[in-house]
Amino acid sequence: MNRLFASFCLLPLLASPALAQSVTVAVAADVRSINPGVNRDDNTDDFALQLVEGLVGYDEGGTVTPLLAEKVDVSGDGKTYTFVLRQGVKFHNGADLTSADVLWSWNRYMDPKTDWRCLSEFDGRNGLKVEAVEAPDARTVVMKINQPNALFLDSLARTDCAMAAVTHKDSVKPDGSWDKPIGTGPFRFVEWKRGEYFSMSAFDAYKSPKDGKVDGYVGSKRPLIKDVKFLIVKDPATVKAGLTSGAIDLSEILPSDVEEIRKNPKLAVVTASTATRHVFLIQTRDPLMGNAKLRQAIAASLEMPELVAAASNNLGTPNNSPIYSRSAYHGSVQKQGFKFDPALAKKLLAEAGYKGEKISILANKRPTVPSFNAAVVAQAMMQAVGINAEIEVLDWATQLDRYNKGNYQMQSFSFSARFDPALGFEQFAGPKDKQPRKVWDNPEAQVLIDRSMVIADKAERQKLFDELHRRVINEVPLINYYNGVDAVAHSKRLSGFQPWQSKLRMWEVAVAP
Amino acid sequence: MLRFALNRVAMALPTLLIVAVTVFILIRLIPGDPAALMLGDLATPASLADLRARLGLDKGILVQFGIWIGNLFRGDLGQSINTQEAVLPLVLSRFWISAQVVLVAVLFASLVAVPAGVIAAWKQDSLLDLGLVAIATLLLSIPTFWLGLLLLLFFGLKLAWLPVVGYVSIGNDPWGGILYLVMPILTLFLHEIGVILRMARASTLEVLRLDYITHARAKGLSEGAVLWRHAFKNAFGPTWTLIGLVLGNLLGGIAVVETVFTIPGLGRLLVDAIFARDYPVIQGCMLFVAFTYVLVNLIIDLCYPIFDPRVAAE
Repeated sequence: MNRLFASFCLLPLLASPALAQSVTVAVAADVRSINPGVNRDDNTDDFALQLVEGLVGYDEGGTVTPLLAEKVDVSGDGKTYTFVLRQGVKFHNGADLTSADVLWSWNRYMDPKTDWRCLSEFDGRNGLKVEAVEAPDARTVVMKINQPNALFLDSLARTDCAMAAVTHKDSVKPDGSWDKPIGTGPFRFVEWKRGEYFSMSAFDAYKSPKDGKVDGYVGSKRPLIKDVKFLIVKDPATVKAGLTSGAIDLSEILPSDVEEIRKNPKLAVVTASTATRHVFLIQTRDPLMGNAKLRQAIAASLEMPELVAAASNNLGTPNNSPIYSRSAYHGSVQKQGFKFDPALAKKLLAEAGYKGEKISILANKRPTVPSFNAAVVAQAMMQAVGINAEIEVLDWATQLDRYNKGNYQMQSFSFSARFDPALGFEQFAGPKDKQPRKVWDNPEAQVLIDRSMVIADKAERQKLFDELHRRVINEVPLINYYNGVDAVAHSKRLSGFQPWQSKLRMWEVAVAP
Repeated sequence: MLRFALNRVAMALPTLLIVAVTVFILIRLIPGDPAALMLGDLATPASLADLRARLGLDKGILVQFGIWIGNLFRGDLGQSINTQEAVLPLVLSRFWISAQVVLVAVLFASLVAVPAGVIAAWKQDSLLDLGLVAIATLLLSIPTFWLGLLLLLFFGLKLAWLPVVGYVSIGNDPWGGILYLVMPILTLFLHEIGVILRMARASTLEVLRLDYITHARAKGLSEGAVLWRHAFKNAFGPTWTLIGLVLGNLLGGIAVVETVFTIPGLGRLLVDAIFARDYPVIQGCMLFVAFTYVLVNLIIDLCYPIFDPRVAAE
């Protein structure tokens, strides 16, 4: 009787065509727009970058390599970049990719009316200025910048800039307003039902940049699934129920759910470290926290393996460096972090003249970050050496406001992913007078960071990053404790999915027949 | 009656204006900047300034209020900061989704709970009364998110009768849409039974103790006639008022149920807007919720004479 009723209920679902080739992915939030790089957040970037591509993109290790370009030549003075486009690349409307399309897309992005999120990265306001873009022939694009900049290609590849996506001019309506993305990505846009779902389908004429293995945004990218629907499901318990019932094929899950879901024979769980950094920020301008010995005492009071295990549900590995653990620049120096030493912590507290003053740690309870859990464990460890630590729980908007104003003593915080170490350091270093959100205001360190943004030689850059790492460990303006971990559960009818930098890349994912 | 209705509508206007001003001020008193939230830790002073200018957040609060109130009088609730959608159509479309769940749940809950409450009062202190009160108390005590998850596990996972996640509009797929709405409706239905049954029982008990009921019984009227013709009509007033309040509350606030069952309703829109500091959507939602509350209670008041002719006479 039950089965009869169930079959009757499921009839409309079973009636949908090509169900076996359709995959439902649960996401926690809706996209903000379908205009890549304009009205965006991480979720929006993730969807957009399945549909569109840029001249260059990140590989699995965060190195920038050609994507729509076949090769990139840099002039001797470091100010002229020549991109040669790959042949045979087509837009979703069937048109061939040419340098004119690159020029049109670039000009659209650089028009202030477009509201491109990264306009200020290229118009000179942040130092780098693209002075000219030319298309001498159908396959060549030349970009000229105002000064040598080791991060120019990295800026072009940034996901929050939508890779400076190349879109076809039919993406805009005749009145110039945005319609829908017609890109060169492995999937084409199908539908966006606000608040409910967004969907895409395989682009059959897609030309993969490489064959072989999946490699960030630049490896093999064949679209093997016919239709993908991203369903907005906010409640983690509902996600679990959906995965168990088979209504959801794939979803990011909470670290705390990993063990339980692994026991389900129909589901697989994959995890991978990301470039996001979970940290404790310390306000060095606070009368109390300005004392370096006190900050060093706090660092010495934290038993990193225990802290990370508790914060990540045993999925993470300690990393005290601002450089993420899978970066090509994460070497032997970066592995030398803070040392847990309660006796030293107590000695440093005495030397700092600490008399039990209250230290407030701001935290939030968003389920996607370990902010609160980490704060609780750190509070206990700090209390164990005699530090009077208290936790103040705020909603995320309020905590971010306090971060931007520099109004805190300590914060349990998370930085979004930055692949290049120079950008990783720049994220928290800078003059507090001009930007109160900056955590580390050290002019000498700033000189090193600025140099790392200009020098292209890897060995030279490594030396700078090693020195910066040592200074961070010594001065303790913040305590990096581990890089984020993606945990994704999927039905075993799917194969080929690999988590990477919190992006749900659906290319090279196949459905079992 | 018309004058009464017009008076109530006129009284509602200052209420709505106060709500508008209060919401506008309060939401801006809470720390948090929508532009900073949108950009997160990637914000640079230049990108933040760009976005604030684009969203009109660089203007003074009085200028912002003037623009908003001016647009409001033209029926324009503004544009969402996050999605750039016009707020009024957004609120109306989400309200329609919530209303389907709420109206059906409250209707069925009333149809079950009111007779059950009257019967419980009639059989006061019997096993039936104790049983009904116990069930009502239990249903009332279970938080809706927990009840929803239990239903989801039972009907969605164990029996696999109903879809676990997603939402389909009834307009696009009537049968599929109904299937998606069954569990949220059932959750609210069970919860509201507890609320309405207790009120129906208490008000009926009060009436059953009055002299005119004793008089009716002394005249030799049947228990059925005493209960339904004399007791129920007089006892229903407070329950009817409660149903109006419940309806008004639920129409603006079933965010928890909507989150558990992934329904894109008004409550979820409001909660998301608060976390994102999407000022125009928060203001639009709150104003609409207040308007709905006033309207529902006006309709409830206008229906009073059906049960109590003394109201019409007054």
